Amino acid sequence: MSTVSTTRAPARAVRTTDPRQRKSKRRQVRERQWPAYVFLSPWMIGAVVLTLVPMAVSLYLSFTDYNLFDPPHWVGLRNYQEMLTEDPRYWRSVGTTMLYVVVAVPLKLGLALGVAMLLKNLSRGRGFYRSAFYAPSLLGASMSIALVWKALFNDGGTVANVLDTVGIHTGGWVGNPHLAVYGVVLLTVWQFGAPMVIFLAGLQQISPDLYEAAALDGAGRWRQFMSITVPMLSPVVFFNLVLEVINSFQVFTPAFAISGGDGGPADSTMFYTLYLYERGFTASHMGYAAAMAWLLLIAIGAITLILFRTSRSWVFYADEEIR
Amino acid sequence: MVSARYDGFPAAVGVARSRDKEGRLPRPSRRAVLAVAAIGLSTALTGTLSGCSAASGDTSGITLRFSWWGNDDRAARTEKAVRLFEKEHPGVTVRTSNGEFGSYLQKLATQAAGGGVPDVVQLDYRQISQYAGGKAIMSLDGAIKDRTIRTSDMDQDFLRTGTYQGRQFALPMGRGITGYAYDSAVYKKAGIATPQPSWTWQDWAKANKKIAALGMKSPDGRPFTGANDGGGNEDVFETWLRSRGKRLYADQTKLGFTEDDLTAFWSFLNTLREEGAIAQARDTVQAKSTETSPIGRRLGAADFTWDAPFPGYTALLGENIHFAPVPTTGGHQGTYFKPSMLLGIGSQSKHPKEAAQLIDFLLNDPRAGDILGFSRSTPPNRKIASRVAKTLEGPEREIYDYAQTMEKYGLDIPPTAPPPGDLAIQTAFKRIHQRMIYGMATPRQAARELIDEANRELES
Repeated sequence: MSTVSTTRAPARAVRTTDPRQRKSKRRQVRERQWPAYVFLSPWMIGAVVLTLVPMAVSLYLSFTDYNLFDPPHWVGLRNYQEMLTEDPRYWRSVGTTMLYVVVAVPLKLGLALGVAMLLKNLSRGRGFYRSAFYAPSLLGASMSIALVWKALFNDGGTVANVLDTVGIHTGGWVGNPHLAVYGVVLLTVWQFGAPMVIFLAGLQQISPDLYEAAALDGAGRWRQFMSITVPMLSPVVFFNLVLEVINSFQVFTPAFAISGGDGGPADSTMFYTLYLYERGFTASHMGYAAAMAWLLLIAIGAITLILFRTSRSWVFYADEEIR
Repeated sequence: MVSARYDGFPAAVGVARSRDKEGRLPRPSRRAVLAVAAIGLSTALTGTLSGCSAASGDTSGITLRFSWWGNDDRAARTEKAVRLFEKEHPGVTVRTSNGEFGSYLQKLATQAAGGGVPDVVQLDYRQISQYAGGKAIMSLDGAIKDRTIRTSDMDQDFLRTGTYQGRQFALPMGRGITGYAYDSAVYKKAGIATPQPSWTWQDWAKANKKIAALGMKSPDGRPFTGANDGGGNEDVFETWLRSRGKRLYADQTKLGFTEDDLTAFWSFLNTLREEGAIAQARDTVQAKSTETSPIGRRLGAADFTWDAPFPGYTALLGENIHFAPVPTTGGHQGTYFKPSMLLGIGSQSKHPKEAAQLIDFLLNDPRAGDILGFSRSTPPNRKIASRVAKTLEGPEREIYDYAQTMEKYGLDIPPTAPPPGDLAIQTAFKRIHQRMIYGMATPRQAARELIDEANRELES
């Protein structure tokens, strides 16, 4: 934000000066800017070569049949048509991913908010707990943690043994098509550290005066939470929600590691991205995989847009009041 | 057959041939990972360098790229053989690169897409059609004709496994065969005769029931069964199918079996599973290595597997484990010698002659044979195989003898390389079987599903 305001300030200054001087000043500005472009060029070239070009190629490939060996062969909308009308596994992967998003995101955000509330008023050891809860978010994306998770939830693993002793015989979640997906959900929920830290920052922004005033008016804890914390925190909730939804749609690593890459058992952890990967790299249908990637992009875009639209009715920005 | 199921993700893409001595999927060692990274970097450099040397027409300064997958033992042996080759051919440098099967396949596919398949490349049986058809590897007919690569000591029928549309594109490096690892102590206890090459699927079913009837318990207190459920394993199905005189593929675009065949196979196993004679669904789903297989977890008495991983079973479970033939239908054996992996030459290679010399050296030189041993299963060169076999003992001796026995018993000649879609069909086989054993589909519905999916793969 600060960079925006500093670049704007001289621009405004230019406008107010004598029109004859404006041109030379503009040239001065341009002369002053060229080193910036030189230094930026590696990144600009990178953006074009490594992002825009691959995206364009991927869009092209999504209209082709491409097995990596023979040249891509144009098939028009065939991939999209097959995906939407002929491939039962595609819809199963959509269903599994939706289930995952709907279960994992609220759980994770709820836990993050709960722990943030607890930590907010903690005077001693706050740094320690904050780091401790944040640590899984740093480790979580790694393959090794997913493998540890797999060992925990496997047949004969800790979770199965503990459940066995209390009389619940699951036989390990990893091998159970009805439970495997929840193992992945738990792994994600466990990594609530990042949204928690953001919640914590948000909570600290809320003025204590509000709580004091509310307490004087006789509001209890719950009332304070609902009437002060929730509305004041809603922009942070919204931010976390959008981020987590987008991330969850792209879940890959935990499912890949826990299922050993095949989305098993019986496709129960075959998330969208995993199926995309399987189509592309195992079955050598790169065109189909590219088409899947584009539909995922469109779906995530649409869902983010819907979230933004609905946010108008529930996200409260403090400065709105002031304006 | 075991490894096709047992090795997790790479297995799903046909690791049947990548098995190591322990029958486990080799983890890439740090050294291997570093080596791959280093070679990744150096390929970019050597690509241009070798281009220069080719232009000058000089025999010195030639760099060959050679890539394969496998465990540390195989890596060490292969390196040693390659160094010997370099000594014999001054001026030729061989840059090796190896990796773990799953990532190896993907890396190779990406290289192939960019026209950069290594000069000498180790391939899986299931890759041959795709790589040959996509012109990623070159025909070896010329090199074989001018005897740069000698094939006279190899079995001509077996060489067919590396052909595509009548031309030789790759040569097998090892000769593997499916079999059946079983606990002889349990078999004795249940009063079951030692399995002979002519035992039938009915004998097998009866044996499993007898073992279940013993009422033994696994270490975690669950009922002990006769064998693993081979229903999710395309290789077991193929053996069963071939024992009934049919084939997996009629040609490169058509299946060689019908919905009824597959329904019969899956129903047969379903019944046995429901009776508790073979492994339960949750154990079948988790069986991804020798250790996690029902026999490895002491939940069962036997396992369908390949010859090369067999020594891993005795190492894990003791000397009672022996290697037996897969059951037959009325005495007709369905198993056949399959290439454990093959060697080809990248079609963009600038030094096809030297690449062919390296292949010949690895396959036919007795010293290379001694170094490589049985690290890629039985060497296809008969002279080398019998020479190396003299030094074998224990379980390795047993699998060698087994191969000899089966050869005498009489097996059908192997089919040509499976169609490109086979990789995807193999994983579909396992997945749809899982849906069935968890009650999400009946055997017939599952068979229909598999055939629909297979046809889609074969058409595209």
